Amino acid sequence: MSGVMDSGANTAFYFDGTSSKRRTVVLHLGETLEIEEDGQRIAAWPYADIRRADSPSGKLRLACISAAALARLEIRDAALAAELVARCEKLDEHMLGGRGVATIVGWSLAATVSIILVVLFGVPLAADRLAALVPASFERRLGEVADSQVKMVFDGKPCDNPAGQRAFEKLVNTLRESAGMDTSVQSGVFSTPIPNAFALPGGRVYVLDGLLAKAENVDELAGILAHELGHLRHRDGLRGMIHNGGTSFLMGLLFGDITGSGAMIFASRTLVNASHSREAEQNADSFAIETMHRLGRRPSRWAN
Amino acid sequence: MWFCAIRRHRLELIPVHEMSWTPIGPPQPPPPSVPPRMPVAFTGSRREFFELVKRGAGLEFVTLGFYRFWLATDMRRHLWSNTEIDGDAAEYTGRGKELLIGFLVALAILVPVYLAYFLVGLEAERAQAFASLPLVAFFYLFGQFAIFRARRYRLTRTVWRGVRFWMSGSGWAYAGLSALWGLVVIVTLGLALPWRAAALERYKMRHSYYGDLQGSFEGRGWEFFKRGWWLWLLVPVAVYIVPLAPFIYGAYKAVEWRWWLSGIRFGGVRLESTLKRGALIGLYWKVIGWIVVLGLVFAAWLALSAVLVASMSATPLKELFASQEFARSIPFLVFLGLGYLLFALAINVVIRVYLMRDLWVKVLGSTIVHGIEAAANVSARGELANALGEGFADGLDVGGL
Repeated sequence: MSGVMDSGANTAFYFDGTSSKRRTVVLHLGETLEIEEDGQRIAAWPYADIRRADSPSGKLRLACISAAALARLEIRDAALAAELVARCEKLDEHMLGGRGVATIVGWSLAATVSIILVVLFGVPLAADRLAALVPASFERRLGEVADSQVKMVFDGKPCDNPAGQRAFEKLVNTLRESAGMDTSVQSGVFSTPIPNAFALPGGRVYVLDGLLAKAENVDELAGILAHELGHLRHRDGLRGMIHNGGTSFLMGLLFGDITGSGAMIFASRTLVNASHSREAEQNADSFAIETMHRLGRRPSRWAN
Repeated sequence: MWFCAIRRHRLELIPVHEMSWTPIGPPQPPPPSVPPRMPVAFTGSRREFFELVKRGAGLEFVTLGFYRFWLATDMRRHLWSNTEIDGDAAEYTGRGKELLIGFLVALAILVPVYLAYFLVGLEAERAQAFASLPLVAFFYLFGQFAIFRARRYRLTRTVWRGVRFWMSGSGWAYAGLSALWGLVVIVTLGLALPWRAAALERYKMRHSYYGDLQGSFEGRGWEFFKRGWWLWLLVPVAVYIVPLAPFIYGAYKAVEWRWWLSGIRFGGVRLESTLKRGALIGLYWKVIGWIVVLGLVFAAWLALSAVLVASMSATPLKELFASQEFARSIPFLVFLGLGYLLFALAINVVIRVYLMRDLWVKVLGSTIVHGIEAAANVSARGELANALGEGFADGLDVGGL
């Protein structure tokens, strides 16, 4: 290649692993592979210890597990290379063969199955148990964070018509007392045309103005508020957070992105959460129906 | 990961950088009294690399991505071992298992960090909504640290003539340097980019060694600026005329490669690059073309599965979309996920062939090594580094450069 090649058939290049010097050597294939430079034996490699190292095609590069880790022998003569390959039985033993790949595939599938099982059965269970263990003060803190973000999103525009405010508070208080919840429940109305209501962890219920405009009578509004109080009572916000966080994390493990972003994670989480949130909504509905019955009102069609 | 397929590729592209000084090829007949100029040769076949990444993509599909550690290793082994400098090919001695362990260790460290991040963020948000955004800066530092340590891993797995490359220096010092220069770049609207690149390369190369031969970087920010300032002016134009963007980016990358390679020194060994400005533009357009084609196939797949789902649930297609019911339909989501996986994997193959292999070959083809005789008798030194940095880079999804 570079004109350094000797004419002898058994020549090779040798790098001893301690210096980058390229040494032209002669190989003797005896009991062991003997490497000679200028007639002096400089190394002997047992055939069983010789392993193949990466090389461009057409060149055989060898390493030896009982020699220096980076010592290399490079053979460019095809006949000599073939003879050496025949003698070194464990030449490719360290390579990742078909069995190695099968092992990787097998364990990957096992990991996938166990992650899916944990997501389906372990995470909901953990969310239920953990939510009960989280102190109320921490939950309130979470609520405050969500609260300040919500206020920012809605431009911090609470409705402040005093008469409306009083009526609304009275309604919430009636529902709250009937449901047997304490005074830590806070509530408010945001002025935005979107018809919706939601509960934040730590005891906050918000109604958007659009919903007030759309509600035909006070029972409808009461039904919706009772439903949201149901979420508070069951600590669904907190449970949902633990559930979402755990699922994202595990799905992230699966798809190799531990930050929990990514479309695949989103899609698979949607699948899992759909069933979970349906259950939470149903529970909040039954809570709302019970509360309304206790107050002697008819639960409206809106309460879902 | 699939979502981040494209970003991830930048990560896999870094080795191109790391490597390019290693390669050199069969010597040219030396003209008398002029030091030999040595081109770098690449001997690998394109077909072989394509087969490698195709098989790798299939295995990534089956293992839902876990195979990526072994695939990255195999690609590097192919590229390294086919790169010849002065008649001797380089060698990549890293293994997939090391990357997997690095990933697992990084995971063990990142999980509590994420938890702490969440709690600190919570406190900050309580005081002021969205106040936790500056914490993103912390992850930027972490990402830079990962880039430095991943480079160290790859360098210590790079062997030429039985002697390995290695690195000293501190990942956190590098991250700090990178963050400070990052601020300057933001303040100057990107004008300081060349000086940042020069400062960071100086740090990396000063701490890089081949045996007992210490590296250095002689590229100046000013030279980079002189070659690329007009591209900086064109960036606002590209925002309005999007088809211009690949030309500008391709030219920028070529200018950067040339400047970077020409600044690299190892003792008396000096690299030079003659890469033309337009050399890489074609590659970027080919990738865009393939992504468009694959995107059309993906869209057709989605349309087909929507029709299929609609006929299965006996809902008229219009109603299905109007009610947004399709976003909850489990068969549709399964089709979507499957199609998306295949789409992402196909894009991976395209990017690996064009932007890893072909780019590598083009850049190597432009590289000339001067004074290679200084590397004829170098003593081996340096310890192996662990793959923790690679794990962080994988976990944080950061790319180098």
